Amino acid sequence: MNLPRRDFLKIIGGATVATALPGCTPKKPQSLIPYVIPHEEIIPGKSVWYASVCRECPAGCGVHVRVREGRAVKVEGNPLHPVNRGTLCARGQASLHGLYNPDRLQHPLRKRPDGSWEQLTWEQAEELLVTELQRIVKERRGSRVAWMTPHLTGSLDALVDEFLTSLGSRRRLRYEPFGFETLKEANKATFGRSEIPMYDFARAQAIVSFGADFLETWVSPVSHAREFTETRTFNGKSVNRFVYVGPRLSLTATNADEWIAPVPGTEHLVALAVLDFILASGKATTSRTETRELQQSIRGISPAEVAEITGVNAERTRSLANMLLEAKPSLVVAGGPVIGNEYELQTLVAVNLINYVLGNIGTTVRFDEPLALSALGSYADLSRFAQSMEQGEISALFFTETNPVFTTAHRLNFGHAMTKIPLTVAFSSFMDETTAQAGLVLPIHTSLESWGDFEPTDGTTGLMQPAMQPVFRTTRMLGDLLIRLKEKITGRGTLSGSEQPFYEYVKARWRSVHRRTGTRQDFDGWWTERLANGGEFNPRRTTRLPVRLATRKYRFTSPQINDSDFTLVTYPSISLYDGRGANRPWLQELPDPMTQITWENWIEIHPSDAGKLGIKRGDIVKVVSDQDSIELPAYVYAGVRPGTVAVPIGQGHTEYGRYAKGNGANVISLLDPLPLQSSGSQEWSGLSVRLVKEDKTVPLADVAGSDYLHGRNIVQVVTVDELLRQTNELAEGKEKKEITFGEPGSPTLYPEHEHPDYRWGMTIDLDKCTGCSACVTACYAENNIPVVGKHQVEIGRELSWLRIERYFDDPPKDPSFPYFPNAEFLPMMCQQCDNAPCEPVCPVYASYHTPEGLNAQVYNRCVGTRYCANNCPYKVRRFNWFDYEFPEPLNWQLNPDVTVRSKGVMEKCTFCVQRIVEAKNSARLEGRPVADGDVTTACQQACPTQAIVFGDLKDPSSRVNALREKNKVRGYRVLEELNTQPAVVYLKEIRS
Amino acid sequence: MSFQLSYKKTDLDLTQTLNKPKKWYYVAVFLLGLGVAWGAGSWLHQILTGIGVAGKNNPVGWYLYITTFVFWVGIAHSGTLISAILFLFRVKWRASVYRSAEAVTVFGLATAGLFPLLHMGRVWVFYWTLPYPQMGGLFPNFRSPLVWDVFAITTYLTVSSIFFLTGMVPDVAIIRDKARGWRKKLYGFLAQGWQGTDNQWRHYTAAYVFLAALATPLVISVHSIVSWDFAMSIVPGWHSTIFAPYFVSGAIHSGLAMVMLILIPMRSAFRLHPYITDHHLESLAKFLLFTATMVGFAYFVEVFIAWYSHNPWEQAIFIYRAFGDYWPAFWSLFVCNLLVPQLFWWKRFRRSIPFLVFVSVAVTIGMFFERFVIITTSLAHEYIPFMWGLPDLTFTELGIVVGSFSWFFFLFLIFAKTLPVVSMWEVKEQLDPPVVRKSKDRTS
Repeated sequence: MNLPRRDFLKIIGGATVATALPGCTPKKPQSLIPYVIPHEEIIPGKSVWYASVCRECPAGCGVHVRVREGRAVKVEGNPLHPVNRGTLCARGQASLHGLYNPDRLQHPLRKRPDGSWEQLTWEQAEELLVTELQRIVKERRGSRVAWMTPHLTGSLDALVDEFLTSLGSRRRLRYEPFGFETLKEANKATFGRSEIPMYDFARAQAIVSFGADFLETWVSPVSHAREFTETRTFNGKSVNRFVYVGPRLSLTATNADEWIAPVPGTEHLVALAVLDFILASGKATTSRTETRELQQSIRGISPAEVAEITGVNAERTRSLANMLLEAKPSLVVAGGPVIGNEYELQTLVAVNLINYVLGNIGTTVRFDEPLALSALGSYADLSRFAQSMEQGEISALFFTETNPVFTTAHRLNFGHAMTKIPLTVAFSSFMDETTAQAGLVLPIHTSLESWGDFEPTDGTTGLMQPAMQPVFRTTRMLGDLLIRLKEKITGRGTLSGSEQPFYEYVKARWRSVHRRTGTRQDFDGWWTERLANGGEFNPRRTTRLPVRLATRKYRFTSPQINDSDFTLVTYPSISLYDGRGANRPWLQELPDPMTQITWENWIEIHPSDAGKLGIKRGDIVKVVSDQDSIELPAYVYAGVRPGTVAVPIGQGHTEYGRYAKGNGANVISLLDPLPLQSSGSQEWSGLSVRLVKEDKTVPLADVAGSDYLHGRNIVQVVTVDELLRQTNELAEGKEKKEITFGEPGSPTLYPEHEHPDYRWGMTIDLDKCTGCSACVTACYAENNIPVVGKHQVEIGRELSWLRIERYFDDPPKDPSFPYFPNAEFLPMMCQQCDNAPCEPVCPVYASYHTPEGLNAQVYNRCVGTRYCANNCPYKVRRFNWFDYEFPEPLNWQLNPDVTVRSKGVMEKCTFCVQRIVEAKNSARLEGRPVADGDVTTACQQACPTQAIVFGDLKDPSSRVNALREKNKVRGYRVLEELNTQPAVVYLKEIRS
Repeated sequence: MSFQLSYKKTDLDLTQTLNKPKKWYYVAVFLLGLGVAWGAGSWLHQILTGIGVAGKNNPVGWYLYITTFVFWVGIAHSGTLISAILFLFRVKWRASVYRSAEAVTVFGLATAGLFPLLHMGRVWVFYWTLPYPQMGGLFPNFRSPLVWDVFAITTYLTVSSIFFLTGMVPDVAIIRDKARGWRKKLYGFLAQGWQGTDNQWRHYTAAYVFLAALATPLVISVHSIVSWDFAMSIVPGWHSTIFAPYFVSGAIHSGLAMVMLILIPMRSAFRLHPYITDHHLESLAKFLLFTATMVGFAYFVEVFIAWYSHNPWEQAIFIYRAFGDYWPAFWSLFVCNLLVPQLFWWKRFRRSIPFLVFVSVAVTIGMFFERFVIITTSLAHEYIPFMWGLPDLTFTELGIVVGSFSWFFFLFLIFAKTLPVVSMWEVKEQLDPPVVRKSKDRTS
């Protein structure tokens, strides 16, 4: 069996503790002096890993939680989980900041009539709730009890339903702000299936996306990013093409070969034009009659007309169609807030038809493995729900981890509707905007403290287990609460007698999974194994009827183009998503990949529009829709279409804790409260807004010094032709290698460093890096990097050891020339130079060269002259300007293996030296040298596309060397000419 | 030297500076004391809170502190130059100005020496930069220019203080002879038992020549080493072989301007016109003209080499200096340091007190800008465009800079009322020896 040693250890660790866990209950007394009687499973200094599921977005990635001395200190991807295969995005990393958030609710609260909160004990709260519910049941109003949850599956989902059933109600709403209603609606209209299919990016030979930001926030970004880079890898001849159609240059768009920005609201016409070309080409896989009928239903839209309305000329649409026709299979994806306008449904239907006529249905668009997301309610459901609340049809509302007051239009008045309900109960960890409107607030465990399971697709079930004892002893697990309440009210059931009712409940449900697998293993053993693995991953493909068109007649309409005003485009922030990440300081401080702004949101305005209105970067702009108005600083950005403005969603909280409150403005309040007629979705984009320049300018808290490369070869790009030429020359031995300075072994007067055992190095494939910034947050989590706050970022004092440098292509010299920016990303951390400029200048040897080739920084020797940072050409050294705070209990997250630096000290990337030491120690105990793959740096571990590879340069067979050898033509070192001899080699980005 | 002067008049004139000060003196000392207190308070705040209260950030790790440091080290250079080098060259006009110039050196260094401490992140462990026997066997890193700096500054401070005090011995003895009480003790200590015997004079003059010879190379070496703080790095705009002579000439340039700025008001306040004549000031002005052309030459060489070397980083930094965020500072240093002193080609300007003051002020400002431009612009626009950035100016940082100026002038005011500001014995050396004659004017 091929089981890597690390995984083996993780499984063993997880398994042993998992078996012991049922013994741990919150009731145990906590002593001030831990381990007077040593805990059998917990060895001080040894990490234990627990498998669980990330619940920060609906994708449901598997995670491993690293626990040290009983505290969760790091979250990493579970290599066995099919969704993310061991990697994790920034939001997943930051789930620890949910767990240890200093603003977590700790006590049950009841709202007094004057609006203030009264603290209750759990007994009081439960009693209150039970009497209220019993009265409701007695008064036969049980059917008017409603439950609102986010996207849930499995045990908790079933339990909520059971709870409602026991009261005699079926009012249940699964609400996610980005619920993909239109996608389901379009699939229903085209194929008669109200489902979200599985998209197989890995097999697609060409990809077109209509507004779907699948590398950031769309459906399952981590797995999409992985599959996307898999298919985009240079195969020796060419790279597969990817074209993005949408109003804004998003992170996904900039990873495309081409960004096409039609007039917002006309995306469907572009799709139809493409469809038209495909049908006309005669190469469609559909039958002749079907083709003819489809052609008829889209007739009346001539290419010239389309070009005029959309602003995309026929040549481009034709080449798009040809590109799709040449690739077998291809994939066209569509949907998402940026094209979430009136015509989104038509776009998605057109895209479905394109996929259909190309024969992609069943290959890259798979309805045999639909996503569990399909069960979500729509925005229309929510607004009906709000209406029934307003009309007093609901006598009790329960909700958990959903924040409609924030994520719906201001004018929907969800908060007001809540006041019409006699009993509103929030099961919540944080005082968010909706929780603040509740009458009774019950603090619950976060997902990392809870039992549960989560099923992204049928058969792929992740198992959640508490990674540690609850941070606050006064919070409760939602499942436990529900079971106890249910049994108290109905007087039936036996689970509440047990210490951990929900654990028993989950386990009981898994007995049926156990039976279904048909394994001969007994349940207990099987269960322990599942806990260690993180779940049961046995995706079931439903063998249902082949997907056929539901109808062959479609109606498409041409939009009314409004010339006078600006069209508003909103998009979920990659770090904050719908706003739920806003109370995580790591995510607030994570620069947005495209704008590099932290701690706030902004309005993106095209330079030509900004020029017309006299708006400059940082000017406060009032955005006025017919619903509401907000004020935001301007970010002048060539990556939006002229006439369009874009605003990220997620900031502008009025509640939700110290980190979320008061940053930016909530763009959702501008939106129309009415759901779209066509799809029942919120109209995220396409609204017309007016801009009024206010007389105020603010500095933007961005981390980018300059947006351009100024002709410097820091990020290097190679075209496919050039790459092929160079590869051939290398093969023919023609390559005339000039003397390069900066490579080990190049001419020098000085003796080189000796590395007797190891020399650590890194290879970073820029072609794989999408710029998602997961590595940055992973680095913060691993290395105890403090969060400095907005003002300190503004004045250039962020402490990130690893940053994603974003450079736009230089704008053309002639400003009248159209400029389509494209961004390149460069992950920049300490290059661990062999000939490091930082080392000789330190007066006290605080920065010195280790025998393993690391530029070590001895924190307790540093006197803080900052000369090393001045002399570092890569500018990767960070200075502790102050003593930074980790407010209780955020300090519990600190990695015990890494020093917390004090003020006046320089710090920097160490290649995760603590992980190297750990690997060396365990290798030594086993009497062997460190093997390749034993050490994984935090950034490498997190990277969804595995662009970062770390290893020993002295080991000729290591992956880090193999990659360099294989991609010799692409390898380069940043600022090679300075002869710093970095240990990091970048592989040039490939452009087709 | 003017013929009306006599030994006795010299003694009288030059010790009357120590008489009980007037009101303006106390006011000035008080105001400067306030400035010092602001600086000290700022420093305390900075130590307690962290260096972040100053305006530095990630690309710009050195900012006003290091600028002010280099400025004061530069100021400190003219003193030893005038007293030692001109002494060795037997330049007569130095006699009446060198004492003040030396005071400028010592106090300039006493101010400059604070800045390496001020800019340190953890000043409480500053002694780690010194070579001292330590249990762990840790020594400073002798490859680091900052360690050279420590040695250069401490050596220079020691030698120039000794030179300053030694040169004063015969003068202090005169004051001692007239003083009473604790003053007698103080001056007695400083006079080191000076009796003015032939034997003492013989040893003294020999020792003075040796000390002058010892101090001379320091004038060159100290500022060369300070320049290597920059030149030894690989920062574009710093990494340049011209830096040592460039910094030394700049240092003398700024030092001369500061000496002039001090001499002119002092001459009026103490009515020292017979001793510090317009001829002296004119000589300083000529010297300033000379250093201005040297500095100007260095500026042009720097720019020329940036162009000639084809080094894109170097070129980028000079384009940035001239047209980037700090362009006013860049162009004003050309005007202040190079163009304005060109006025001294005309005798009219060399002899005009207002113009002397104007040019000195211009050069002082210009030299501050020069250091500012070198340090800040280079750091703000280094290799990686993503990491370009500008520092912030804070109240604390400003307070410390203002405090340093207050501290310097505060020390000088104290000096002016406690020690003779013009060397009596060297002035007298240039007078005709007193001949005992029975004449009326001699006795009257």
